[in-house]
Amino acid sequence: MRTGLAFLAGTAVALMVAVSPALAQKQGGTLRISHRDNPPSASIHEEATISVNQPFMAVFNNLVFFDPKEKVNSPDKIVPDLAESWSWNPDLTRLTFKLRQGVKWHDGKPFSAKDVKCTWDALIGKGDEKSDLIRKNPRKVWYDNLKEVTADSDTEVTFTLGRPQPSFLSMLAAGYSPVYACHVSGRDMRSKPIGTGPFKVVDFKRNESIRLVRNPDYWKKGRPYLDAIDWKIVPNRSTRMLGFAAGEFDMTFDSDVTFPLLKDIKAQKADAVCEARPTNVSSNILINRDSPPFDKPEIRKAMVMALDNKVFSDILAQGNDLDGAAMLPPPAGFWGMPKEMLATIPGHATDVEKSRAEARKIMEGLGYSKDKPLKVKVATRNIAIYRDPAVLLIDQLKNIHIEGELEPIDTTVWYTKIQRKDYMIGMNLTGVGVDDPDVNFYENYFSKSDRNYTAYNNQEVDKLIDQQSAEQDREKRRKLVWEVEKNLAEDGARPIIGHNVANTCWDSKVKGVVLQHNSIYNGWRFEDVWLDR
Amino acid sequence: MGAYLTRRFLLMALTLFGMSVLIFVMLRLVPGNIADILVDAAGIADPKEKAKIIAELGLDRPIVEQYGQWIGGLARGDLGFAYVSERPALEEIAPRIPISAKLAGMALVLSVLIGVPFGVISAVRQNTALDYVLRVISLSGLSLPAFWLGLLVLMASVHWFGTIPIYSNEPRSFLQEVGLLAIPAAVVGFRSSALVMRLTRSSMLEVLRQDYIRTARSKGASQASINYNHALRNALLPVVTIIGIEAAFLVGGLIVTETVFNIPGVARFLVEAILWRDYPIVQNLVMLIAFVVIMVNFLVDMAYMALDPRIKYAD
Amino acid sequence: MANIDHNAELTRAGAYVTGSWSQIVFFARRYPLGAVGALIVLAFILTAVFASVMAPIDPTTTNARASLAKPGGFHLLGADFMGRDMYSRIVHGARISLAVGVGAMSLGCILGISIGLMSGYIGGWFDLATQRLMDIMQSLPLLVMAIVMAASLGPSLRNTIIAIAIPLVPSVARVVRSSTLSLREQPFVEAARAVGMGEFRIAVRHVLPNTLAPLIVLATAQLGSAILTEASLSFLGLGIPEPHPSWGRMLSESAAEYVRSAPWLVIFPGLAISLTVFGTNLLGDALRDILDPRERT
Repeated sequence: MRTGLAFLAGTAVALMVAVSPALAQKQGGTLRISHRDNPPSASIHEEATISVNQPFMAVFNNLVFFDPKEKVNSPDKIVPDLAESWSWNPDLTRLTFKLRQGVKWHDGKPFSAKDVKCTWDALIGKGDEKSDLIRKNPRKVWYDNLKEVTADSDTEVTFTLGRPQPSFLSMLAAGYSPVYACHVSGRDMRSKPIGTGPFKVVDFKRNESIRLVRNPDYWKKGRPYLDAIDWKIVPNRSTRMLGFAAGEFDMTFDSDVTFPLLKDIKAQKADAVCEARPTNVSSNILINRDSPPFDKPEIRKAMVMALDNKVFSDILAQGNDLDGAAMLPPPAGFWGMPKEMLATIPGHATDVEKSRAEARKIMEGLGYSKDKPLKVKVATRNIAIYRDPAVLLIDQLKNIHIEGELEPIDTTVWYTKIQRKDYMIGMNLTGVGVDDPDVNFYENYFSKSDRNYTAYNNQEVDKLIDQQSAEQDREKRRKLVWEVEKNLAEDGARPIIGHNVANTCWDSKVKGVVLQHNSIYNGWRFEDVWLDR
Repeated sequence: MGAYLTRRFLLMALTLFGMSVLIFVMLRLVPGNIADILVDAAGIADPKEKAKIIAELGLDRPIVEQYGQWIGGLARGDLGFAYVSERPALEEIAPRIPISAKLAGMALVLSVLIGVPFGVISAVRQNTALDYVLRVISLSGLSLPAFWLGLLVLMASVHWFGTIPIYSNEPRSFLQEVGLLAIPAAVVGFRSSALVMRLTRSSMLEVLRQDYIRTARSKGASQASINYNHALRNALLPVVTIIGIEAAFLVGGLIVTETVFNIPGVARFLVEAILWRDYPIVQNLVMLIAFVVIMVNFLVDMAYMALDPRIKYAD
Repeated sequence: MANIDHNAELTRAGAYVTGSWSQIVFFARRYPLGAVGALIVLAFILTAVFASVMAPIDPTTTNARASLAKPGGFHLLGADFMGRDMYSRIVHGARISLAVGVGAMSLGCILGISIGLMSGYIGGWFDLATQRLMDIMQSLPLLVMAIVMAASLGPSLRNTIIAIAIPLVPSVARVVRSSTLSLREQPFVEAARAVGMGEFRIAVRHVLPNTLAPLIVLATAQLGSAILTEASLSFLGLGIPEPHPSWGRMLSESAAEYVRSAPWLVIFPGLAISLTVFGTNLLGDALRDILDPRERT
C-alpha cells in the first residue's frame, strides 16, 4: 500500500514538473552533481555500472535512443540520434541506418559509417586484433545474434542478424550503446574519451572529479543549454547528502537518496525536487546448486520459501521496493508477470508464516532442527548495499534451522570467487540496462553467458529464451516471458528478493530532467537540462 | 662524523631497498590483481579478457623482472603508469602531495602551539588540579580515534551551521584553502598536540631536577627565569625528537581524516590504490612515505646532535 | 639477589595489590588516575566476558520496526538502520575489541620477545639482520603497515589480529633486545653460566624476567593502540567484517550516513572506543610510574 502511495507521490511530483508552464530555457551555468564513487573508467562499452553511464553518456551519441522526454523506455518510443532514419529488410534480419552528415568528433575529425562499423566490430570480436579500443566487453551476449556490420557508404551502415530479433533496436537505443571514435585509442577512451555528444571531457581526476564542458560544435543546434557539468566524487553518502542540502550540489547521484534519507533531505531543503522510481536493479540470491548442501532441490526450495520480501523492503526502503520475478514488475516494467501469477510462485507467497512452517517441515525431514541447524556461509560483496540485505537474509534463514554466517568478499575477487563456485549462497544485485527480456534473460540466465554467474544451465529455459526473443507479436511474447520467469523461479535459478526503488533529487532551479522509470542506465544525455538562475 | 654519515646513508639506502622488496612482494600476495578488478568492475569474469589485460600490463612476467623494471624506472625518475587511470603515476601522485603536506604541516604547527605551552604549564604546576586536568585532556587526545573526532566535528558543523566544509577542487585562494584545511588539521593535530604536551611535560620535569637548575636557583635566579630560560630550552630537545617522529606518524591520522573530510590527498589515495590493486601507485607511495619517515628520523638525529646541551655548555 | 624483586618494588611504590582492601585503597590514593584507568579496563574486560548476560538480545537480530529507533525505552541506546539493538552491539563489541586488543598485543609480544631475546643473545649476523628488518618495518607508520597487511590477508577476526600484531613487533623486539644486551654481561648471568646452566634456560629464567617491567608498560600502551588500530581498520572497511559488532565498523559507511537523523549511531560506538583506550592509557601511565621509575612523569 505504502508502495503505491510513494509511487503516486513520485508521479505527482513528476507530473507537476512536466506540466508546469513551459518557460523559455536559459542558456549557461554549471550543473554540479555529486558522484558516489570513482568510475572504473570512462569507457561505457567496457563497464557495467551507473557510475560510468551517468557522467559519460553526455559525451556520446547513439545511432538511435529512447526518447529522453518519455519517462518509460519503450520500443515504440525510439528516436533518431546519429542515425536519421532506419529500415528493416522484409525478413527482419537486416537493419540499415542512414547516418547524419556533417557530424564531428570533439577533436574535429569527421564522423562516418566507419566509426559505427568499427565500434560494433570491436564489440563482437571482429575488430583489429591489435586494437585495444574495447579490451573487455560485459555485454557480449547482446550481440550474439549480430553477424556482421557493413559500412555501405560514408553515411549508411547495415547490421546483419542471424535471425529476427525485435529487441535488437532497443539494445542499440540503450545508454550502454554509444558510437565510439575509431581513430582514438582505447586508453584515451577510458581516461579522456572523445565523442560526438553535447559535452566534452575536460578532466577526469581519479577519485576527485569529472568536468565536462559544452561542445560548441554540437550538431543539434541550440543544445546543450548548460556551459558545463561538474561531477565531484564523494564516497561518503552522508557527505553527499549534506552537500546537496547545503547547496554545494545541484543534483544528487542517481538513486542515491534512500527512503530513510529522503526525510532528512526534505527537512533540510524543502524546495528540493525528489523523484522516486524503480531502478531496475534487483536484489537476488545466488545459489551454488552443484555442491552440497544446495545440490538438494528440497533445500533450495525450503530456503526460497523462508524469504519474507516485505521485511527486506520495509527495512531497506521503508516498504517501497517492488515484489516481482525476474523482470521488472508492472506498471513501470512492461514485461513482468501480473500480481496474481506472482503469488503462485515460490518465495512470493502472501502468507509467509505458513510457507515457513512448510519449509521447516522440509528441513526437519532432512534431519535438521533448532539444535542441529544447517550451517551455511552467505557470501557477499563487502559493500553496504550488498551487505545489508545479506545480514537480513541470514536473520530470516534462522527461521528454518539454517544458521548463516556472513562471508564478506573483497569486491575485487567477488565474481572470480562466484565463477569458481567457491561459495554456498551469495547475496547479489543485478542491474538491467534496458527493460527488455533479451537483455535480462540472455545476460543472466542463458547457459552460455559470461554473466550467468551461477552457471545456471537449463536447456528448456534456453529454448524458451530464444523463442521469446524471436517472437514478433508482443502479447504472445509477453506470455512466453512469464513462462520463462515462472520456470526460473520454480527452479530457484536466482531467487529475487525485490526490485529496488530509490529517489533522485535536484534543486528546483534545475529544469528539464526526465528520469527514466525502467532503467537508471538511460536518459543521462543532459542536453535538454538547463538552470533557471 | 664523515664515517658516521657514510654509515648512516648506507643504512638508509639499505632500509629503503628492503622496504621496496617487502612492499613489492606483499602486494603480490594480496588476493586479486588489477585485471580481476577491471573485469569485476564490469561484472564479468571472462578469463580470456583477463589474460589479455594481465599480459598488457606485464603482470605475467617473472616477479624478479617486474621488480627490476620498477626499480630501474624509479632510479630514472619514471614511476610507471597507473593501472586504473592509465596515466603516468607521477601525474597522479604529484598533485596530491601538496594537499597532504599542507594538512600535515598545519596539524604539526597546531600541535606545537598547543602542546608545548600546556606541557610547560603542566610541569611547572606539577600535581596541582590544573596539572591533572591538562593531563586528562591530553590523554583523552591520545584515546579519541581521529575519524570519530572528525565525524563529531561534522555533526557539530551540521547542527550549528547546517552545512559542512567540502574541499573543492581548486580552492580559489590561499586563505580559502587554509580555511578548508583548518578543521581537518585540528582533528589530526589534536592527537599530536597531546603527545607533544606529554613529552614536553616529562622532559621539563626531568630538566627541573637537574643540577644546573639547582645551581641557577641557588644563585638567586627568579623561578620564572629558570623555567623559561634554562628549563624550557633544554626540555625542548626531546620534544624536537618526538615532533620529528610524529610528523611521519601523522600519516596514519591523515588517512582517516582525509577519508572523513573527503580531501583528495595522498594518504586517502594510498588506501584507495590498495583496494584497486594499483601497484604502481601503492609501491611508489609507500616508498615515498618510507623515504619521508627515514629522512625525518635522520634530520631529527642531526638536529639533536646540533642542539645537544652538553655541546652547548662546552662552548 | 640477582633478580629484581618485583614484589618489593611494587610494595615500595605502594602498589602491591593482592586483594587486601587497604592496599587497593592505598594504590588508588597514590595513583588516582591509574585507579580510574584500572576500573575502566576492569569494566571493559567484565563487559566482554559477560556480554551475553549483560545484553541478552542477539546483537545480529534485525527488526524492521526498530529501524533507526531512538535511544530510550526498549532500545536503551537506540537501534541501527537494520533495527539491531545498539546497546547489545556495543556490549558485544567489547568482546571483539578485547579479542583483537589482547590477541594482537600477545602475538606482537610473543614474536617481539622471541626476536628480541634471540637478537640480543645470539648477536652477530642474526642481530644485524633482524635489526635491519625491524628498521624496514618501522619505516612505515603503524596504520599504513596494518592496512597493507590487512589488505593482503583479507577481512576476518584472525587476520585483523595478525595484521595489527605484526607492526607491533619491532618496538617490543627493540626493548627486549636492549635489556638483553645489558643483562647478558651482568654478574648473575655469568654466575648462572658458571654453574653450567644452558643458554636457553638462562635466557628464559634470568634475562627475560628482568625485562618485564618495561615490557608491561609497553604492552599496556600497545593494548590501547591495537584497539585504536582495529577501529581505524574496520572504519576503512579492512578490519572486522559484518555482522560482527565491531565498534570501528559501526562507525563506518552505514552509521556515518545518519549523522544527522540518528546521531546515536555515531556517538555511542565512538564513546566506547575512546573510553576503553582512555582507560588503558591511564593504567599504562600509572604502571609506568610504578615499574619504570626512571621515566616517572
